[in-house]
Amino acid sequence: MFDSFPYDEWSEDIADFWAWGGANSTGTYIMVALGFILMVAALYGFVILERGKLERQAEALRGAAGAGPTPPANPTGTV
Amino acid sequence: MISSIVSPLLAGTEPTIQELADQVKLDSQVLTEQFYFYTVVVMWLIHVGFMAYEGGVARRKNLMSTAMKNILTIAVVTPSFYYFGWYVYGCFEEGWPKSGHASPDALPGFCGLTAPWSAGLGPNLQDHVSLVFFLAFLLFSWTTGSIMSGALIERVRLSAYLLLTVVLGSFVWILDAAWGWSSGGWLVTRFGFHDAIASLVVHGVAGAFAFGVLLNLGPRIGKYDASGRARSFRPHNLHMTLMGLMLIFTGFYGFYAACLVIQSTAFPGWLNIYLSPTTLGAIAMVITFGFAGGFTGGWFASKGDPFWTLSGGLAGVIAVSAGADVYHPSLAYLLSASGGMLAVWAGGWIERTLRVDDAVGAVAVHGVCGFYGVFLVGIFAGGYPTGINNVPVSFGGQLMGMLAFLPLAFLPGYGVSWLLKKANLLRVPPEVELEGIDLAEFQQDFYPEFERVPEVIVTPDGRAVEAGPILLEDYRAVIRPGR
Repeated sequence: MFDSFPYDEWSEDIADFWAWGGANSTGTYIMVALGFILMVAALYGFVILERGKLERQAEALRGAAGAGPTPPANPTGTV
Repeated sequence: MISSIVSPLLAGTEPTIQELADQVKLDSQVLTEQFYFYTVVVMWLIHVGFMAYEGGVARRKNLMSTAMKNILTIAVVTPSFYYFGWYVYGCFEEGWPKSGHASPDALPGFCGLTAPWSAGLGPNLQDHVSLVFFLAFLLFSWTTGSIMSGALIERVRLSAYLLLTVVLGSFVWILDAAWGWSSGGWLVTRFGFHDAIASLVVHGVAGAFAFGVLLNLGPRIGKYDASGRARSFRPHNLHMTLMGLMLIFTGFYGFYAACLVIQSTAFPGWLNIYLSPTTLGAIAMVITFGFAGGFTGGWFASKGDPFWTLSGGLAGVIAVSAGADVYHPSLAYLLSASGGMLAVWAGGWIERTLRVDDAVGAVAVHGVCGFYGVFLVGIFAGGYPTGINNVPVSFGGQLMGMLAFLPLAFLPGYGVSWLLKKANLLRVPPEVELEGIDLAEFQQDFYPEFERVPEVIVTPDGRAVEAGPILLEDYRAVIRPGR
């Protein structure tokens, strides 16, 4: 169907362009490394961000109530 | 197929046999690509379903924190499965990667295509299959995380869950899949281990992993009274839960289909994951009768409880998945009814006797019935030739798989959650748990227009009472020094 089209040559060019160097190339290694770093950083960030939120809220609840937290049946809807 | 007819007509020439053969091959590859693509689309419904299912079970104060776990599963498992999970599947089939990362004997060249920098995991116009095949497995990985997710709701930290789900979804389950859910896995080639649609390798393993986590996580505040008897929390929206389960069931058809391999140019056109012949119709019949039997078993074992009736359907399907390529529909109906019953009884035993607070019964439904499904194959499909070596299915081989996968799943779940617990990163502070995690995580109530009613808890003798005093009393016991 595409006999008149330089399909093989064209696909190689496109593959190189898409992958910034193709499979097993320096450009691909760098992108993989950067993506891996983002993934690890995101996991670390999930832990740190949540820890801060939870500790602040727990501290506020302990401080506000004195004797204990607000009963769970009637949260205010805001902090 | 159209292209193979139209192309020579457009060119005005008679095609050669070789040209027709090339066209058929290309059409077959594109058909395979489309098939897996649409299984992925359908499998998304599993995750929509898990989100609705767990969100409905949660109390109102924990709705969004519960749903967010399911959403962020995708954010963490996708890259981790890409960067190392798929490599585990491609290269660990014989136990550990061979020297020089050579491929397993059964699948020459596969290992090399599973590294994230390889031609198999990037744009490649010559390869129609690798990326969609990867995506189908990725959706299975999300599913393992979502199975665990429901068990932990209302007290686990979101970040702890995400770390655990990376371990489960991108390493533990895919390692067991390499061993027992691939044509070159050592359990398959040596012992004839047969788990065609992943009773154990997805469901059982996720359930066992979740059980290990639950032992460290502990029950929700107020779940057990002073004498250890179980109380029940009322789901904030059971309609949402039931709808979620129905969405999961819909997605399961995509899951089942994605477990097959298309071989459209050779009889009978379909292979199971072990490259043994089967048909799409055979497994579709088993899943449908599995739901029918599971609903029936769940209904009667729970005396008509809506939640356990639908969970029974899920359990029924899981119980027959391992043999879905060979079971007769009537056999599937019978076995799935027993699976639905088993889930109800196991759920009660885990909650009341073991005193493990599994909020959605995931350990019973997925864990117990996952192992049960593989056990059943050893009895009802014994002798069926499995895999490229045609090793007969045997009870011993099935037992070998169960003995391999139980510690493989349980120990990492227990170990990683133990480390998180020691670092005080596993569970939310008790004050936050009592007030509701949504206010801490998101600073808002997600039903702002609806009046709040007092939270209700069901006592062990079946009375629905106001939860506040019970929860406060249990909270004080939790924060008491020395406990």
